[in-house]
Amino acid sequence: MKLSDRKTWNLRALLAAPTAFLLIFFFGPLLIMVVYSFLTPGIYGGVDWTFSHLNYGRILGWADTKYEKFDPVFLWIFLRSLRLAALTVLTCVLVSYPAAFWISRMPKARRNMAIFLVTLPFFVSLIVRLFAWVLILRPTGFLNQGLMGLGLTSEPLEFLYTDFAVIVGMTYVFIPFMFLPLYASIEKLDSSQIEASMDLGATRFQTFRKVVLPATLPGIIGGSVITFIPSLGNFIVPSVLGGAKVVMIGNLIEQQFLSARNWPFGSALAMLVMAAVLCLLLAQLKLARTTEERA
Amino acid sequence: MDTDQNRAVTRTFSLRGLTSSPFERGRTRQTDDVSGFNMPAPLEIIGAHKAFRSPEGATVTALDNVSVKLAQAEFMTLLGPSGCGKTTLLRTISGFETLDAGDILIDGKEVTNQPAFRRPVNTVFQRYALFDHMNVARNVGYALEIAGKSKRDIQARVGEMLELVGLEGLGQRNISQLSGGQQQRVALARALAAKPKLLLLDEPLSALDKNLRQKMQQELKTLQRELGIGFIFVTHDQEEALTMSDRIAVLANGKIQQLGAPDALYTKPANLFTADFLGESNLLPVAIERGVATLADGQNFPCSNESAKGTLLLRPEVLRRTAPSEPSLTVQGTVVASYYQGKDCLVDFESPSLGALKANLREFKSLPERGETVSFYASTSDLHVINEVSS
Repeated sequence: MKLSDRKTWNLRALLAAPTAFLLIFFFGPLLIMVVYSFLTPGIYGGVDWTFSHLNYGRILGWADTKYEKFDPVFLWIFLRSLRLAALTVLTCVLVSYPAAFWISRMPKARRNMAIFLVTLPFFVSLIVRLFAWVLILRPTGFLNQGLMGLGLTSEPLEFLYTDFAVIVGMTYVFIPFMFLPLYASIEKLDSSQIEASMDLGATRFQTFRKVVLPATLPGIIGGSVITFIPSLGNFIVPSVLGGAKVVMIGNLIEQQFLSARNWPFGSALAMLVMAAVLCLLLAQLKLARTTEERA
Repeated sequence: MDTDQNRAVTRTFSLRGLTSSPFERGRTRQTDDVSGFNMPAPLEIIGAHKAFRSPEGATVTALDNVSVKLAQAEFMTLLGPSGCGKTTLLRTISGFETLDAGDILIDGKEVTNQPAFRRPVNTVFQRYALFDHMNVARNVGYALEIAGKSKRDIQARVGEMLELVGLEGLGQRNISQLSGGQQQRVALARALAAKPKLLLLDEPLSALDKNLRQKMQQELKTLQRELGIGFIFVTHDQEEALTMSDRIAVLANGKIQQLGAPDALYTKPANLFTADFLGESNLLPVAIERGVATLADGQNFPCSNESAKGTLLLRPEVLRRTAPSEPSLTVQGTVVASYYQGKDCLVDFESPSLGALKANLREFKSLPERGETVSFYASTSDLHVINEVSS
């Protein structure tokens, strides 16, 4: 047996266990969901093994005309989820970009401390952090009291259980996801490139637009994708900060599985989220490839 | 150059620069005629002062009353060990650092407080600082793109610049596809594309290997002559400085130690720092009395220095094995080590009266052996006495 052959076999042996694990516990459940999404819900929960495309029809526009008419509410929830996730990504970029820039220019010892501080919220339970936001945003909360104290408003404003609260909450939760890839790409940018640009006559703004932004675009795209995906399917933030008023697709799926016990419909919704995410990933892949070709 | 007198002049200049009205500051200042034509100097620095605060809280003086004036189309090198202030001086010219006191005039116009992007100078950076998300052509055309030139003008100028640096046809390449030497050329083309009044080069050759570096030295010098613009070249490599410069400014501790032509600096350094920093040297203390300098071993030679004590600079290559016909010094000693270097040979020897010495022999039949007793001769016309005594 040749050495290279032996190496290959060793490698295969090492990879066998994790591969098997992924096949059984990742693709297995996924496959079950795919199958369930084409079945009929059982009367007492569970599934009836009869094929049905109406789970998708209920969402996308064709309905079982016998029992119900098509209601676009599910589609609206899906589109609203896309919008909220996109807005979350946007606010995450707006907050993380200057922060990452600032931290990347700090002396090394302080830089590591700052990165630690950015990731610090991870060490506290998500539920605790979200309820802290409830305390801030509720009508008698800190934000309203502050605004009224300053005389900016006479009555408490409605913050809690709005899109605003959900976006604030998700931004807060996902900032580290955006910050780290952004930081990685900004830190790589040689500050002498910024100087070179100014040396060649570009103002600070021109330098940002022509040098800094294009050079850090991979970080922005990477951060956006890994922020968008969990935002889209998130159900904890909207259920704590959005209440019954702001329902996202994640809440809907949760309801279908846990309260409505309509597993096939829940599966179909989940498949739709997955399809959206896959489309996004493919687009990113294509974008990365074209920039690579150009670069 | 008489430093004391020079300093006095600078004082008045920098005071005037600080107290003059904004109207006067913007005006073209009449400067001495350097070129023979009545044109302003491409660069004039008057009484530049700059201090930094170190991370430990101490104040470090990077520039201490530096005044320098560039002649038309002059290649000037700022030479010195790291931390001597040469890079700081360059960065104040390009506009990345502001002076605590003093003035900078480019082409007769005061730019002391102008931001980098307004100054008519461009820089070749030490590690090139090329924009790696753009191809070669866009890098070279960047300054023109920023200036809002038309696509056709940019394309024409980029082609011209790439031809100038010998990179024709590589415009569509990515930066990562270029060798170090090619990147260097792109950086040069990029800095020259906008026709700067003055080109600043911050140790641009330090990343290249020796052969390529020598080639680039010659090319840079030729290019500078063809373009006819001033070059300010920062380096810590004394050989590079001697090869390329019209004048060299030797910097140490934030001060210009000496400013002059390479051969003057090498053969007649004004102080011990310059003598020691440029090339190899034997430095021997001498006593001077009535025009005669006397070495520790009693040998003497005519010397016009005014001071009572001084240091004789004996370059290793002025030592020869055969006695010349003209008056000469003789040094004798025992060979400690000898090194064959191809075209010459280096001999370390110990003289009983003068201590450890070095000789560099161009002509030799055989390498002097370790332990061998040797005699070397230096004609008195090759000797130079510095008015300082090493402590």
